[in-house]
Amino acid sequence: MSITQYNGGTILAMAGKNCVVIGSDKRLGVQNLTVSTEFQKIFPVTEKCYIGLPGLASDVQTLSELFRLKVNMYKLREEREIEPLTLANMISSTLYGRRFGPYFCEPIVAGLDKNNKPHIYGMDLIGCLNFPDDFTVAGCAEEALFGMCESLWEPDLEPDDLFETASQALLSAADRNSMVGWGAVIHTITPDRVITRTLKTRMVIYYISYI
Amino acid sequence: MNPVALYNHEPLTSAAKQHQFDPYEMNGGTSLVIKGSDFCVVASDTRQSVGFQINSRYAPKTFKLTDNAVITASGFSADSLALFKKLSQNLEWYKHAHDKVMSTPAIAQMLSNTLYYKRFFPYYSFCLVGGIDEQGRGVAYSYDPMGSYGPEPYKSVGSASTLIQPFLDNQARVGHQNQQIVQQSEISLESAISITKDAFTSASERDIYTGDFLEIFVIKQGGVTVERVDLRKD
Repeated sequence: MSITQYNGGTILAMAGKNCVVIGSDKRLGVQNLTVSTEFQKIFPVTEKCYIGLPGLASDVQTLSELFRLKVNMYKLREEREIEPLTLANMISSTLYGRRFGPYFCEPIVAGLDKNNKPHIYGMDLIGCLNFPDDFTVAGCAEEALFGMCESLWEPDLEPDDLFETASQALLSAADRNSMVGWGAVIHTITPDRVITRTLKTRMVIYYISYI
Repeated sequence: MNPVALYNHEPLTSAAKQHQFDPYEMNGGTSLVIKGSDFCVVASDTRQSVGFQINSRYAPKTFKLTDNAVITASGFSADSLALFKKLSQNLEWYKHAHDKVMSTPAIAQMLSNTLYYKRFFPYYSFCLVGGIDEQGRGVAYSYDPMGSYGPEPYKSVGSASTLIQPFLDNQARVGHQNQQIVQQSEISLESAISITKDAFTSASERDIYTGDFLEIFVIKQGGVTVERVDLRKD
């Protein structure tokens, strides 16, 4: 098993009409063993921009602190908030700076820029950026999320519909992956506010009688 | 040291070279089955690949066994075809011996036995059987390559199964726990077919081993019908 899958966890981001969502599961594990069910993988950067950090838990926390530092320094120097594209490039160069001894984390950036245009970015663990206009996924349930998002996502969704689409994608993907689950968090970012909702995933054994 | 040795790509040590016979290949492809109250939908793509090479854009892996049963398999195509041939022969012998067509649950058990007979040199095939039983009810079974099997309401196997299976959980399950407006009655034939098409068009966007054509078999009381749909060809 890859070191990026050692602690489990998965993240997705979707773009809608003047809104974005970013969501993750809440599990922290050590291979098969679940250690925590309240592990934060998504971190707010500005009022309209969030980063998701799936991967090795120690690197997730190291990077979240490193990016907090860098974003604060940027704000003091520039006297303005960082834009999503700038943030994505900052994360990308930080990761590429460790090209031959990388952080085991594949970050996702989601947010609205100063004109409230939605931005989502994905990258690999050495910072190769991706600029999708629909959705991006990363982490242990990546393949399941690709299958879900590819079939559920449609263009120009309103915030509530985008949240429902992302929720269904994340829940169904998480329920088929044993490294992922134990609840989920979804942030819906709109021009005037961010709505944070926590969801239940499959947490109890129930009897299946549908055959 | 002899300077010529620098240009010699052969190893300087004379360690024994190990050669071994590997008779298996992974040809990719995805199959799916959805069961209904009085029908069954069995579908698969028709691409056959090895690595980054496409061997064929139309190499079917779903076959009609009887008027009531259809089989599909992904994995190693040669093994799957050999397995289908063996099953067809057995069904022909059964027909002459008993003067009747084998029922779908009996075919399901026979496939399990056939796979387990080769427990230590298995057919590298991930099989699905779909059809209707003797009462006309939809039935579906899934298998591992050694013959372990069980009934399923819906199931996807093969290269895009990790993409399709959660989608089926979301769309094909009756009374899904994640949704407030749940479908409480059994799935209709129309929605089973439309879910199948959506699943494969989406899967072929991301899985390089799934594409070209989709063949959808519908098994009902009247017999088996086939529909062919276009998928991505890149």
